[in-house]
Amino acid sequence: MAKKSVWSDNRFWQRSAAWITGFASILLIWLTFDTIPQITMGTDADLKQGVTKRVPGPTVINYKITYEMNAKRMHEIPVIGGMNAEGTSAFEEKELFFGRDDWSEEEASELLHLGKLGSQAKNCMDCHTLLGNGAYYAPDLTKAWLDPAWGPEGSMQAITGKSTKEEAMAEFLQHPSNYPTHARMMPNLGITEKEAHGLVAFLKHMSSIDTNGFPRNFGKIQGAVHGK
Amino acid sequence: MFEPFVDVVPSFFGWLNQGPLTMTIFLHTFIVLPMFWIYKQEKARLESEA
Amino acid sequence: MANNYLTTESKKLATWYFTFAAIIFGAQLLFGLVAAIQYVMPGFLFEIIDFSIARILHINALVVWMVFAMIGSVYWLLPDETGIETVGIGLGKLLYWVFVAAIVIVILVFLLVQVGPADQTTIWFITEGREYIEAPRWADIGIVIVVLGFIYNLYATGMKGNRSGIITVLMADMLAFAGIYLAGMGYTDNISVDQYWWWWVIHLWVEATWEVFVGAIAAYGLITMIGAHRKVVEMWLWIEVAMLFGSGILGIGHHYFWIGTPEYWWEIGALFSALEPLPLVAMFVHVLYDWGKMQGEQNAQGKEISVITNKPAFTWFVLNAFGNFLGAGIWGFFHTLPQVNLYTHGTQFTSAHGHLAFFGAYATILIGMFYLAVQGKNGIKIMKSTKKSIWATSMIVGGVMGMTIALTIAGYVQVLVSRAQMGATWAGYFDGQAGMWFAQGMDWRLLMGVITFVGFLILVADLLSIGKADHHER
Repeated sequence: MAKKSVWSDNRFWQRSAAWITGFASILLIWLTFDTIPQITMGTDADLKQGVTKRVPGPTVINYKITYEMNAKRMHEIPVIGGMNAEGTSAFEEKELFFGRDDWSEEEASELLHLGKLGSQAKNCMDCHTLLGNGAYYAPDLTKAWLDPAWGPEGSMQAITGKSTKEEAMAEFLQHPSNYPTHARMMPNLGITEKEAHGLVAFLKHMSSIDTNGFPRNFGKIQGAVHGK
Repeated sequence: MFEPFVDVVPSFFGWLNQGPLTMTIFLHTFIVLPMFWIYKQEKARLESEA
Repeated sequence: MANNYLTTESKKLATWYFTFAAIIFGAQLLFGLVAAIQYVMPGFLFEIIDFSIARILHINALVVWMVFAMIGSVYWLLPDETGIETVGIGLGKLLYWVFVAAIVIVILVFLLVQVGPADQTTIWFITEGREYIEAPRWADIGIVIVVLGFIYNLYATGMKGNRSGIITVLMADMLAFAGIYLAGMGYTDNISVDQYWWWWVIHLWVEATWEVFVGAIAAYGLITMIGAHRKVVEMWLWIEVAMLFGSGILGIGHHYFWIGTPEYWWEIGALFSALEPLPLVAMFVHVLYDWGKMQGEQNAQGKEISVITNKPAFTWFVLNAFGNFLGAGIWGFFHTLPQVNLYTHGTQFTSAHGHLAFFGAYATILIGMFYLAVQGKNGIKIMKSTKKSIWATSMIVGGVMGMTIALTIAGYVQVLVSRAQMGATWAGYFDGQAGMWFAQGMDWRLLMGVITFVGFLILVADLLSIGKADHHER
């Protein structure tokens, strides 16, 4: 009688499937325990003591944020409060946000909370992408705070008649269809002034998250390069 | 021999990530090895049934 | 109903689920068309049904009709597999109506209320604003209750009746499917943590538990439609489970490249998700191999007739085997490596993959289940295709393929211009959108979308009329 092969035996495959599924699940849970602490939001104390966090605390809105190539990581990283000798955040240089650079931890958290809730309540993610996830009908917002269009050389401050980035963004968010930039416009979503301030804080905070160099080359190349 | 650590926070998995294949070879080996043991057990069972 | 050949309540309930699924399928395509028109004519329904609303309805209707059809499929095959009537069928019927009512309310709120103020009442009653699972929290809780009832029915029936390999896989899979949903119900101010858990729902559904569900349904289909041997089919099923979960669970890493999570996810995501197409190749080979084998066995006995007992359903099952491999496997692999994904992430490339993968992997096999239900309901022994079934299949498949290719080309120019050259800024984004390849891609997508929709209308006409055709063997 021919010997039965293990390879065509259901029990062997059933047990293998159970083992592989179980082990992969355990690995994922283990990795989750490793990752979640790394992406937990930092605190105001971290910023003051110069501790780099992948997701900084809400008071990061008091600091100047840029996005610079890092030689060691070989991609761009958010640089908070100016750059130190190693090419990472110095946490020194402050920047006014709606006229202040002394937002307390409580105030900044409240603003960020309002902004994050607002981003969900207005379905931002169903036109825009956040951290690259969402819909593709409108620009990615991951580093929108650093977009040259909103800076002193960009057009948005002039169009909205505001003299700072945050005020221009807040004005646009409240009355988007008053400032059409393209045939494809952002609709009026009933965003209040307070909500707009929260959303801008949310955007500024998001630009300080270490996204492993996504998006590449953000805002570095400007000018007419057309795909026609 | 080991690559210097570059990521923000040092961790076990970050250390395993030494090059484009190190971690995945390690994890896949861990997944596949016990299948040899399952194989042997099932083979013994089939033989005892025959 | 007068001519109802169904002898079990479980199968009757399955047809209810299938009917509602088909209606929501239509809604999905309709709102997809609205969104597609807006790409071509941005003023269309502006500030009435904005793109965001059309898209919410498009993708949520997609998820809902598939979940309905999946639950329906399980109720359909339960009596066949276990040999008994489903336990707790009364509860199942009650929960069906609760589910339908909840979905109708959620859709109406999405359509009429659309957005809310930035506070928790919006999250509880209007929208959670997180792609694919926008349903407000009250509906989340309702869905969990409904699905728990369904899981109870499945477990009680599986434990009382004959628990086949297919039922065992479904019992484990459906529990994971329901449990994972809980990961997506929370709220946090930290967008990185938010997206970390959000992907547990989205990825572990569509790239793990749903795929295993498809494996189980395909196994059932092969046994019922071509008489494949259960032992062989179930062995394949276990191999597929091992490969799907082995690659799919840690394949979640390919969503953790850029959301703030550590760099080591690059490697885990790249290599595990690169293996995800393997089980899909296996499924494709398995379906075609079994078909050839059964036909060969029959031909060897001198009988030159087809072994297939349901032509249109089997057509959709074969399309599933191919579409799953092509849409989820190939189109997914295109952009799963971090070096590529750095530039393709969040472009129409993703959208192209999404369209072909959801269609190829899930829509196809669930349409196949619709046809199986029509056959059972009309007491047909061998069901043959009609002109309508062939037209519907060709137009839907051609339309979705066409949309996928158009979106891939649009994505290509977006990757080059918006990402590689311009670095993903506001200006870069709109430069990419203005590209000729992009604009024409969107025109073609709309045209192909219309073809798909017409194909869907023919499909519905066929599902309603094919049971009465007189060329079947009864």
